[in-house]
Amino acid sequence: MSFLDILYLALRNLRQAKLRAVLTTMGVIVGVAVIVTMVSFGLGLQQNMLARFKALDLFNEMSVFGKSLSTLASGLDRGRQDADSGGDRRGPRLRPDKAPTRILDDAAIAEIAKIPGVAYVEPSIGFPVFVRANGHVQTQYVGGATVPNASSRFKDFVGGQMISSPDADEAVVNERFTREFGFARPEDAVGKTIEFLTPLDEQKGQARESKNEEVPSGFFGLPLDDQESAEAKAGNLAAHSFRIAGVLNTELKEGAGQGGMRGLFPGAGIYVPLKTARQWIIDHRGPMSQVALALARESGALSSSGLEGYDSAVVRVTNPVVLTEVRKRLTELGFGSFSIVDQLDQIRTVFLIIDSVLGLLGGISLLVASFGIANTMIMSILERTREIGIMKAIGAEDREIKLIFFVEAAVLGLTGGVIGTLFAWGIDGIANRAAYRFILKPQGASFIDFFSIPPYLWLGAILFALVVSIVAALYPATRAARIDPVKALRHD
Amino acid sequence: MSFILEARDVSKVYQMGSTTVAALDHVSVTVNAGEFAAIQGTSGSGKSTLLNVLGGLDHPTAGEILFDSKPLAPLSKKAMARYRRNSVGMIFQGFNLIPTMSAEENVSLALAFAGVRGSQRRKRAQELLDRVGLADRLTHRPTELSGGEQQRVAIARALANRPRVLLADEPTGNLDSTRAHELLTLLRAMVATDALTIIMVTHDHELAQTFADRIILMKDGAVVKKDEG
Ligand SMILES: Nc1ncnc2c1ncn2[C@@H]1O[C@H](COP(=O)(O)OP(=O)(O)OP(=O)(O)O)[C@@H](O)[C@H]1O
Ligand SMILES: [Mg+2]
Repeated sequence: MSFLDILYLALRNLRQAKLRAVLTTMGVIVGVAVIVTMVSFGLGLQQNMLARFKALDLFNEMSVFGKSLSTLASGLDRGRQDADSGGDRRGPRLRPDKAPTRILDDAAIAEIAKIPGVAYVEPSIGFPVFVRANGHVQTQYVGGATVPNASSRFKDFVGGQMISSPDADEAVVNERFTREFGFARPEDAVGKTIEFLTPLDEQKGQARESKNEEVPSGFFGLPLDDQESAEAKAGNLAAHSFRIAGVLNTELKEGAGQGGMRGLFPGAGIYVPLKTARQWIIDHRGPMSQVALALARESGALSSSGLEGYDSAVVRVTNPVVLTEVRKRLTELGFGSFSIVDQLDQIRTVFLIIDSVLGLLGGISLLVASFGIANTMIMSILERTREIGIMKAIGAEDREIKLIFFVEAAVLGLTGGVIGTLFAWGIDGIANRAAYRFILKPQGASFIDFFSIPPYLWLGAILFALVVSIVAALYPATRAARIDPVKALRHD
Repeated sequence: MSFILEARDVSKVYQMGSTTVAALDHVSVTVNAGEFAAIQGTSGSGKSTLLNVLGGLDHPTAGEILFDSKPLAPLSKKAMARYRRNSVGMIFQGFNLIPTMSAEENVSLALAFAGVRGSQRRKRAQELLDRVGLADRLTHRPTELSGGEQQRVAIARALANRPRVLLADEPTGNLDSTRAHELLTLLRAMVATDALTIIMVTHDHELAQTFADRIILMKDGAVVKKDEG
């Protein structure tokens, strides 16, 4: 007997008890729909979250740390100290996994850049300074930027462009800066001059110390009154001028960035060329820093004319896959590192658990459906004992009888699986639309697909329904094949 | 000469609690190829049981069945199915047609199990039904057919795969004597044209004497007389 004949007989059997077949399939539909909906929600959640991380460059960047000046001075392992004290609770802990043993200087940066898989290295460096521009004075945090710069932080300009050369007296500011300094439109700032103010006294000690003490870091500057600016003009202050080359767009930065951060790089309102920034820090050292440098030189941690390195740098890899390898290499070189992937692995595990639980719930409903299938099959066999006996008497093999019932169950499972998947797809669509209409749209957010139904999910669900159905038919089919034709045919 | 079908000292014993019922009690029967044999006997004498055993539907408790001088006992389940499908055709006491299938589908089913396909299957089924005079009843279900018509569908089905032996259990049981005569004339003709061997159970002694080559008489599970006719 050909498979087509078997399929025909199976379908014919199902047709004869339509309502029963429909109800049984309904069980499978519900089971599959629950599985697919739940798991697709879990996967969607994960996908949306990872997509956000990806957009922020958190996957291919890591921070690398060298020995800090205070460590060099005291000889203490600062990293370990922080870990013991529980660290800073105010934000993500960008701390190295291992205490660094090397200084992160320009030579080290060059060495890191040569590690295979590293796209670029950019030292993180910055300092606070009083800035005068457009008739306003404020404290600002100034960051150093490698020029030219390959990172995504310097791709999106509202006006102007990136600093033209590593030695140029040029700066890039962000949009917020232009607002705070009273520019009507961000573009208006391009080409304007900003001044970093320093005490005129080049003895760098007392004069600046007192200034620094006066200004708490959280202080947001007001336009200085005439008297003070007059004082500045009177010659107590020196100014270093930069031309604003471009204005960065901050508005697009979302999520963890909050307009300040993209990737792992700390944000700043103003960027000047890296060399300029480093030189500024060396030239305008505070007393604490001066003491630390002296101590480090005294203890031999630094040579008599040696300088501290960068505290940290951002390393970007060409492909997230090589991140772990590059990290290993960094550790070998004696640097500490931090990567969001550590956290990500844990997030992945959590999602795996969530998806499993959701899938399990769906699996239970499908299990219940499988009892329905088994029940339907057994009923059908009881009803058709005589028919099965006739088939065997006219030459049907046990295998063929079995096959008829397996195909019957498979048709139920497959139909239920396909319709269940379509149901889940519909539910996802409706839920997305409802969420957009009632939650996202009122808040002005754009449409988000909360679900993800990858091919492996729906194919897997259908296959699972099929397998469950066939397993459910195992006993009934065997029982059908064992029917004794003589008993079945005995007329009464 | 060799026999096409032979029962050698066959017993079929049913265990009913503490008592045993011997449906067949050391039965030995031989049938020649091209022979039309009739089995007669009172109700419960074991006629149907003997046909089931000969048809490979049932296994004897003791003794053996030989088809073409080859014993059936060593055959696998699959080979037994093939034997039932191709070597013997059975007409059961009480038709045993599938009630949800039309006359043509009932005949087709036997052909389908033998692997006959598509248009050939259709052609053969219609040919068989035409031969038993049911050319205009192809799409009728068993409930839409008279007893005699149902019986003829059963015959068409039994002959579907050109068996060498036809085992018929009371094929005329539901027919009036005119119809019964017609049917047996048809079977008799098949013995001649198709080299068919027929073993027929009947309670009608007159019919048996008219059409059969010989009569085997059974009583209480045993053969009491083999009338070489
Ligand atoms: N499964 C069974 N269990 C117990 N006894 C059985 C079974 N099948 C048949 N018998 C007995 O075996 C005997 C022979 O039965 P069988 O059906 O062969 O009779 P028969 O000659 O065909 O009768 P009838 O003319 O009424 O059809 C009967 O006495 C019956 O009760
Ligand atoms: Mg009988």
